[in-house]
Amino acid sequence: MSLEQFKNRNVGTQNYTMLDLGERPKTGWDRFKQVARRSVKLELFTGLKVTFREMIKALFMGEMHTIKYPFEKLPISPRYRAIHEMKRLLESGHYRCIGCGLCEKICIADCIRMDTRYDENQRKEVSEYTINFGRCIFCGYCAEVCPELAIVHGGRYENASEQRASFALFEDMLTPLDQLNQQQEFPGFGAVSPDADKKIKKTPLAY
Amino acid sequence: MSKKEITITIDGVECRTWEGEYLLNAARANGIFIPAICYLTRCSPTLACRICLVEADGKRVYSCNAKAKEGMNVVTQSEEILEERRAIMEVYDVNHPLQCGVCDQHGECELQNYTLELGVDSQHFAVPDTMREVKEWSTVLHYDAGLCIVCERCVTVCKDMIGDSALKTGPRGGPAVDKAYKETAPKDAYAMWNKLQKSIIVPSNGTEHTNCSDCGECTAVCPVGALTERDFVYKANPWELKEIPATCAHCSSGCHLYYETRFTSIDNHDEMIFRVKNEWNFQSLCGAGRFGYDYENRDVTKDEKAFAKAVEALKKAKTVRFSSMITNEEALMLQRLKEERGVRLVNPEVRPFQRFLAAYAKAAGRSLYGSDYKAIMQESDFVVSVGAALRNDNPNARYAFNNVQKMNKGAGLYFHPVGDTLVPTFGKSVECIAHKPGQEETALYLVLDLFADRENLPEYIKTYLDGFHETRKRTIKERVMKEVVEKVLDKESGEENEVKKKVPEMVEKEVEYDHNLLVEALGGDPVAFADSFEKMMKKKSSFALIVGEDLYGHPRWENLAKLVALAEKHCGMKLAMIPPKSNALGVALICDLDDSAEGYTVGYNQPGDFRLSALGEGDLDMPAMNQQEGTMSTMNKRVVPTNAALEYGGYELNDLMNALGLGKRLSVDWTAELPVDKGFQAVEFDDLSDGFLNDGTEVRGYALTAFKSRPSAAKVAAASEEAVLEGEIAYRCNPQRQFNDFTDKAHQIFEAFALYASPEKAEALGERVEVVFEKGSLLLDVVADERMQGEIVEIPDFKADRDVYGLFGESRYANVTIKKV
Amino acid sequence: MDGYIIATVIKAVLVLSIIAALAGFGTYLERKVLAFMQRRLGPMHVGPYGLLQLAADGIKLFTKEDFIPSGANRLIFMIAPMITAATAFIALAAVPLLPEFKLFGVTVKPIISDLDIGILFVLGMMAAGLYGPLLAGMAQNNKWGLLGAARTAAVFLSYEVVTGLSILAPIMIVGSLSLIDFNNYQAGGMGEWLIWKQPLAFVLFLIAGFAETNRTPFDLIENESEIIAGYATEYSGMRWGMFFIGEYANMITIGFLASLVFLGGFNDWGFLPGGLAIILKVSFFFFFMLWVRASWPHIRPDQLMWLCWKVLMPLAVINVTITGFVMMV
Ligand code: SF4
Ligand code: SF4
Ligand code: SF4
Ligand code: SF4
Ligand code: SF4
Ligand code: FES
Repeated sequence: MSLEQFKNRNVGTQNYTMLDLGERPKTGWDRFKQVARRSVKLELFTGLKVTFREMIKALFMGEMHTIKYPFEKLPISPRYRAIHEMKRLLESGHYRCIGCGLCEKICIADCIRMDTRYDENQRKEVSEYTINFGRCIFCGYCAEVCPELAIVHGGRYENASEQRASFALFEDMLTPLDQLNQQQEFPGFGAVSPDADKKIKKTPLAY
Repeated sequence: MSKKEITITIDGVECRTWEGEYLLNAARANGIFIPAICYLTRCSPTLACRICLVEADGKRVYSCNAKAKEGMNVVTQSEEILEERRAIMEVYDVNHPLQCGVCDQHGECELQNYTLELGVDSQHFAVPDTMREVKEWSTVLHYDAGLCIVCERCVTVCKDMIGDSALKTGPRGGPAVDKAYKETAPKDAYAMWNKLQKSIIVPSNGTEHTNCSDCGECTAVCPVGALTERDFVYKANPWELKEIPATCAHCSSGCHLYYETRFTSIDNHDEMIFRVKNEWNFQSLCGAGRFGYDYENRDVTKDEKAFAKAVEALKKAKTVRFSSMITNEEALMLQRLKEERGVRLVNPEVRPFQRFLAAYAKAAGRSLYGSDYKAIMQESDFVVSVGAALRNDNPNARYAFNNVQKMNKGAGLYFHPVGDTLVPTFGKSVECIAHKPGQEETALYLVLDLFADRENLPEYIKTYLDGFHETRKRTIKERVMKEVVEKVLDKESGEENEVKKKVPEMVEKEVEYDHNLLVEALGGDPVAFADSFEKMMKKKSSFALIVGEDLYGHPRWENLAKLVALAEKHCGMKLAMIPPKSNALGVALICDLDDSAEGYTVGYNQPGDFRLSALGEGDLDMPAMNQQEGTMSTMNKRVVPTNAALEYGGYELNDLMNALGLGKRLSVDWTAELPVDKGFQAVEFDDLSDGFLNDGTEVRGYALTAFKSRPSAAKVAAASEEAVLEGEIAYRCNPQRQFNDFTDKAHQIFEAFALYASPEKAEALGERVEVVFEKGSLLLDVVADERMQGEIVEIPDFKADRDVYGLFGESRYANVTIKKV
Repeated sequence: MDGYIIATVIKAVLVLSIIAALAGFGTYLERKVLAFMQRRLGPMHVGPYGLLQLAADGIKLFTKEDFIPSGANRLIFMIAPMITAATAFIALAAVPLLPEFKLFGVTVKPIISDLDIGILFVLGMMAAGLYGPLLAGMAQNNKWGLLGAARTAAVFLSYEVVTGLSILAPIMIVGSLSLIDFNNYQAGGMGEWLIWKQPLAFVLFLIAGFAETNRTPFDLIENESEIIAGYATEYSGMRWGMFFIGEYANMITIGFLASLVFLGGFNDWGFLPGGLAIILKVSFFFFFMLWVRASWPHIRPDQLMWLCWKVLMPLAVINVTITGFVMMV
């Protein structure tokens, strides 16, 4: 299966083939006939053939499935909800979070906390922000509710830790300033829908 | 002002209401919702928002302004009305910044609510935006003009309720609304928009700063995030805060308020009070209540050693000295201590009041004063205040005084030795009489003279009063029209013609008048007073008398109490007293106070040999009032519950009582034992209700019962001049917003412990002075209070350890020598 | 006589250690083969290609806590695994593993004890092995164990019949119960292999062999999707390990039996020398068992019984009868 197929979670649209299982035997005689037919046709050996074929493929035709995690890693679906990231504005490099507290409010596990203050530029400054990943259930509500596309789910899914509470601070999640040019828009949970423009009613402007 | 009950129909529902009641209030009282933004109950309608539009008997009226008439038929919703309301909300949304995400009102914003409620989902109007700057109006006010919807609620509340009139609308600048909208926009929306587009709110004194009482009521009423408390800006979101209904403990008003708490910060998970909110439609707070909330006794743990020492101290105590910032339950515990262990109870704040109240009760035959401030506010149209520094002593007495002027087209008489520039601005018909300290008797006699029903007055008083009236003559100037004959040169003919003309001329005339010696004695001009009093009395029918602390500690308090009772009886006045401090009424009713301390003294928030203190610097920690539950007795004669907003980890008074074998399981188990014979009821704390009903009815706790007895027949003595003070005088009076050590502890209240004087006096005194009393002296900085007038200086008493009560003695006035240092 | 005893002891020790090692190695092979058949890699990280996984597992098994459930019958609980392991190895005593060869001038018979009734002894020993799971299941005071024990009794006893009947026909043909005689009977090359004469017996024997060794599709006595681990539910550590060594040893034994009885034993096979031939044959059977495990699902207990009593047993009887007729004619 290619990665493209793997990414496609749209279950309804995949191609399924229905198996033709035939009629179930009803009488004892039917059942006997079925056993006899299957024995004569050596159906059991079909199974053996399949497994053997797979083994040959795996061993000699390079179709081994195993990914040697953690030395090799599969790229995960962009809709996967892993450790959060905080994005920055591409133009100014300022963090996007406006400190509205919606994520804090909606968080089902009550694991987000933030401190805000009125800063020198008359803006709301997020002075500290934490997520307790020991409690986070990665439901994605925070990313969904964020009006600024500031908090999103990143691709870091390895979060084993030695203690239950493991806090991430704002800086841990923020895109580092020197990697700003590599910051990508988040296509997953809570991203702007492709038809967002269509849904907006235009407001008259007087300029 | 008697009320007539009528029936009107609102949306097909029959509603009982009063004749002349605004339709909006009638609907609200009957549980019918009409959107309204600019209207404030208890204030005059502003007609700024026009969203309260309804149809009454087929005509479009604004429900906040239209009065109910018998049989009226009101429709609150119709296609046309909804259209109009939606358009109004659209107009409000024009250029309103899309910043709900950071806004401090987010979640409790009326603009948000009504925009959604009225279904605004698109915008049809536009006008170029104007730059509107954020202003810090005072140490507590933060105004973001960008968010302001110019509903003028702040202006209205400040004028009609608070009395400072510190705000007004000012020009916004920027373009006017495009005339073309006249065609397309609904009528009211267009008119409202035109006005809105022209204005913002500015301080009314023409500067950048309000210089007001800093009560913060304007921030409470602001429906949007435009006007907020500076300290709260961007600190927390309203929805995170837990509302804890409580009673403000700073002054005797006992205002209902909500402490709003949340965890302190990410690293400190303890609850903290972030701000105070109130039911501003029914209860206005002052600056102390709103900003003096963080006085809790922090980080207290159970210190067993200190506790053991405290128990020892109480065992050997001869006296317990306490402040009146305690609950009724605690007062009862102390009283029990007195009964069981014979300690003396000393409370210099309350003792004079208690005596006075008792003397009044004896003379009037009623254990409590007859009226309260709510009734005065609602019904009176003439208020007289004697012996209270209205601006400083009690905010709600002042609000009532002011509100009567504004709402009931009232008049006011203010007797006080310390000149005040704010009180006269409350209304056109406010007369201030700055008499000499000690002349309160004369003032009360004047009240009797002016308002009493002469016929029923005891004969000896009638004679006494008549002795103050003299018929005198005086010359007045009168304008008369005089006919003059002038010679005019006719240019054409060159002749002089005589023309008759009428010319005004002032002539002197001698008239007889009634010269009132009482007014003269109080330092007023009898002639001018008689004039203005005549105007003041026009169309007045309901009178009220407020008496304050000056009377309680007055050397002739007993006679004053009798006079007050007499005035109440014979002038038909609503009488309300101002209990001097927080729970003074409760303490006065519950405790048998002694006059002086003796022997080993335990001080509870007061100086003493062993100190129990909620301020965190005593020998044993006690919970502050925002960490306690219990009841308080307010000056409106109600027993109201208060709840603990914050955790407290230490010992309480009840624990000490338990250690002495006198305690109960919980402090609030004492509530039901409050003395029934003093007017309390045997109700459990948990059964007390709290809050207000839709129509403003207060359902907090219960009203104290006043007991009737037979009025004593003792005669009232004549006014005496013996108590009159001359020379350098100091007045014991706190600056606004400061009431006690606890307000002082709050981080947003800065008023200093200093000598306050009128600007001229302050200049004369210099920066720092030593004030020498008979028994001691105080070194104080001098602060000029722009709203004071005259020579008398004010010395605060909010710091218990400075023992200002000791220096002054019982009277609030004292002769002092002020030395520059 | 002394030499005989010494040689026997040496042989016993050798067989024991080699087969035990092979059994361990079998687990590795099994995991690898199953993995490959599912296109996985199997154990990879311990040693090259995961070869040392064996050692790791060994260490793990030896160091694991050896606990005995509180309500168990301690003695039986403790000896039950040993029964399984012991019977499996004892069975091997009568199995000729390789052709005779000379070492330092001594002719070595790679059979511990060439009994006249070799085949009966082997089958008997394997049948005795049923006491391992049976006692284990009954001793551990656990309902899953008890169910496992019940199934053990049913499955082993039933299939014992099939094994016996299926091998009766070859015995009739060969006329001996010694496995060496079986081997020698087929010495004439591939054409002489008994499988050609007795194909049905071979198939029946094989099927019964799966049941006897408790392998998929007949591994019902510890079917984890129904009865947790069946008779081994409460076992851990080395005791648990012994059951498995026993199982793998049994698999090897069945491999040898099938090779010796039906596939020409250790006779030279074309250019292949006999020793290599038998190793290849046994390896094939071993692999086949894994292969089957990778390919086929379990069957239900009732189907197992149905298959045994209604299909395999009649077929075996028919086979014996026909063989008898043919021999008489
Ligand atoms: S993913 Fe869900 S649980 Fe985790 S922080 Fe976001 S809202 Fe909370
Ligand atoms: S929802 Fe988004 S913008 Fe709002 S506080 Fe959370 S991260 Fe910041
Ligand atoms: S005032 Fe109300 S509508 Fe305006 S930004 Fe604040 S919350 Fe939003
Ligand atoms: S500041 Fe607030 S209360 Fe005052 S006019 Fe503006 S919106 Fe209304
Ligand atoms: S703080 Fe109080 S006095 Fe000052 S402007 Fe506001 S309402 Fe008026
Ligand atoms: S509420 Fe009536 S006009 Fe605003």
